[in-house]
Amino acid sequence: MSESPATVPRPKRFYTEPEWLDVGEIRVAYRRKGSGEPTIFLHGAGATRMWLPFYEQMSASVDFVAPEHPGFGETEAPEWNFGFDDLVLHYRDFADTLGLSRFHLVGFSTGGWIAAAFAVFYPERLASLTLIAPAGVYVPGKPLTDLFAMPPERIATMLFSGREAAYLDYLPDGTNLDDIVHAYGELTTFAHLTWAPSHDPKLPRRLRGLRVRTLVVGAEDDWIVPNEHVDRYAELIPGARVVRIPGTGHGLLIQEPERAAAEIVSFIEGNAR
Amino acid sequence: MNKLLFYTINFMPYPFVPPPEELESAWVTIPNSHYDPRVGHRLYTDYLEEEIATERFGYDGVLVNEHHQNAYGNMPSPNLVASYIIARTSRIPVGIIGNALPLYNHPLRVAEEVAMLDVISGGRIISGFVRGTGMEYFSYGENPTYARDKFWEAHDLILKAWTEPGPFEWEGEHFHLRYVNPWPRPLQQPHPPIWIPGVGSLETVDETAKRRYTFMQVYAPRWLLTKALLAYRKIAEEKYGYTPSPYQLGAAIPTYVAETDEQAHREARPHLTWLFRNGLQHPAYFAFPPGSMSKKSFRNFLGTLIEKNIKPLHELTYEDLIEQEYVIVGGPDTVIEQLEKFQEESGAGVIVGAGGQWGAMPVWMAMKNMQIMAEQVMPHFRPPDGKPIWAREEPKVPTTLSEQAATVAPALAPRIRFDDDTYMDPRVGHIPEEVEAARNQVGAPTHGQ
Repeated sequence: MSESPATVPRPKRFYTEPEWLDVGEIRVAYRRKGSGEPTIFLHGAGATRMWLPFYEQMSASVDFVAPEHPGFGETEAPEWNFGFDDLVLHYRDFADTLGLSRFHLVGFSTGGWIAAAFAVFYPERLASLTLIAPAGVYVPGKPLTDLFAMPPERIATMLFSGREAAYLDYLPDGTNLDDIVHAYGELTTFAHLTWAPSHDPKLPRRLRGLRVRTLVVGAEDDWIVPNEHVDRYAELIPGARVVRIPGTGHGLLIQEPERAAAEIVSFIEGNAR
Repeated sequence: MNKLLFYTINFMPYPFVPPPEELESAWVTIPNSHYDPRVGHRLYTDYLEEEIATERFGYDGVLVNEHHQNAYGNMPSPNLVASYIIARTSRIPVGIIGNALPLYNHPLRVAEEVAMLDVISGGRIISGFVRGTGMEYFSYGENPTYARDKFWEAHDLILKAWTEPGPFEWEGEHFHLRYVNPWPRPLQQPHPPIWIPGVGSLETVDETAKRRYTFMQVYAPRWLLTKALLAYRKIAEEKYGYTPSPYQLGAAIPTYVAETDEQAHREARPHLTWLFRNGLQHPAYFAFPPGSMSKKSFRNFLGTLIEKNIKPLHELTYEDLIEQEYVIVGGPDTVIEQLEKFQEESGAGVIVGAGGQWGAMPVWMAMKNMQIMAEQVMPHFRPPDGKPIWAREEPKVPTTLSEQAATVAPALAPRIRFDDDTYMDPRVGHIPEEVEAARNQVGAPTHGQ
């Protein structure tokens, strides 16, 4: 699954050079900017290697840290088989290495699943938890869209709920071999983690006892993680609050970066360490 | 020696389905409401008769295969089909081009079933090991990113289970077994011949050459197929230091022979069209799920597709199939000529799909294909006696009780113990004189015969 970072193609827009941190055997690419409440952001199954407008917005108010998961962006996958439990330990070590003993954790989509799993095992490390359109739970009759069973152009449609034409800049070049192979590699890591089951059957039971202040952010009409998943998380986590960003799909952080950042910053500042 | 070994492979298609334009795919998601079991009964009956007929036609072997949830081939359990064929034939080898090892979380089941088939059939089983198409990973919910590792771990476990005394412990990455000790063990020693099919990836060619197994290239344009088989020979010679037998090199090339070239094309065209354009209709995302290939293989594979302008199988026209030599169609002379060319160019000694059933062929047409192949093509590749390879050797075990009794002595006799500590062979326990004799030998149990 691994390849040398030198061969990782760079998106034409929003690419920035990452900083590097050795976490165990993994050399992590991450981007960091801003000051204030330390906030670790866990990305979803794509849109890597970019400093997105949402990140910029966040960094205006908080110390925003955006690492790339093993097997995504410029962080190489380890040679061994790994799962969400390994990612939880990985991010514990990542925070330790950065010297962050207590921080805010924000996760989007698959990153939301990792963040929820992290909160279950290390609640004392978190000042707050924000789950944005999070995967990880099962809602009968409303399964996660099977992104493995569709061509890339269809994934783009699903991501922006039919309005992908406005966001082509954020998508990889579907005609470039390097981009296609890189996307295949990221999708491989995604499959490694989520092919079956596409959720964690143990997570609901574990979330019921969670004592971390939690915000769940949903889209208006999410074609990848159905809206009911947001409700399910809010129902499971004691005291969780829900906000929805109007006019958005699963790509809400790209579609409404200012609005999303404002909601999340306000929540983080309201739960300062 | 037979210059070329002829095998049929009958996929058991279910052609009574909508055309590809009306389906997402003929695999994975094609609604099974299209499957009428009464029609299925008739098809299985036809197909099984065609497979059984291979023995009398004089094929060197008959192959069965494994696919799941599709209209292309209704053989989800190749072992069941093999079981039926061995029961209705007596000498012909049966090759199982399953079992799709990564789909099974218990490789011992494969070791057991193949060993059973080998013992029951008198050592007639060729054991294929396959990874399966990408589609199987959707149909079985198996994680494709584990497929390569799981395949080789299952392979290693099965081989060890067949060749080393049990019980032993297996602690791998994927399988954890405290007691590996399968009964029965296979009849062929050290184990049944192993075939591994491939799409031409050098990783698979190398792994197969390393173990001296038969590599079977699946559907491909002829140049690509030839390249893969030549690569096998080169890797065997240069990396592993041996010259492979032609019988280690095979390819699946759907072949149809009729009285004349014109007649052959007239008959084959609609059915080979169904096979490729309908039966093999599937989107790329089903065929190549993430992780089914390494990133490096994916890059090479995709690069080749783009560079050589290789179309997906279901986009090939009949003319493409003929021109790019995915298939062989013609009268006997044409087919002989093309098989000789295939053999000379690739060094292969095995042709898979030499005659038999394709697409929606009626039984008579499949049988005609096999009969003309048997009578007018095969003899050309055989010594003057025309015999298939299996008719050149004795059966691997005695086929009559008299031979068995005369030549095979069990190492141990069965023994029972009576309450008075008398041991005796239960097979003579109903004879009072034998019981009496046994009682006189208290404490001295007999071993062996």
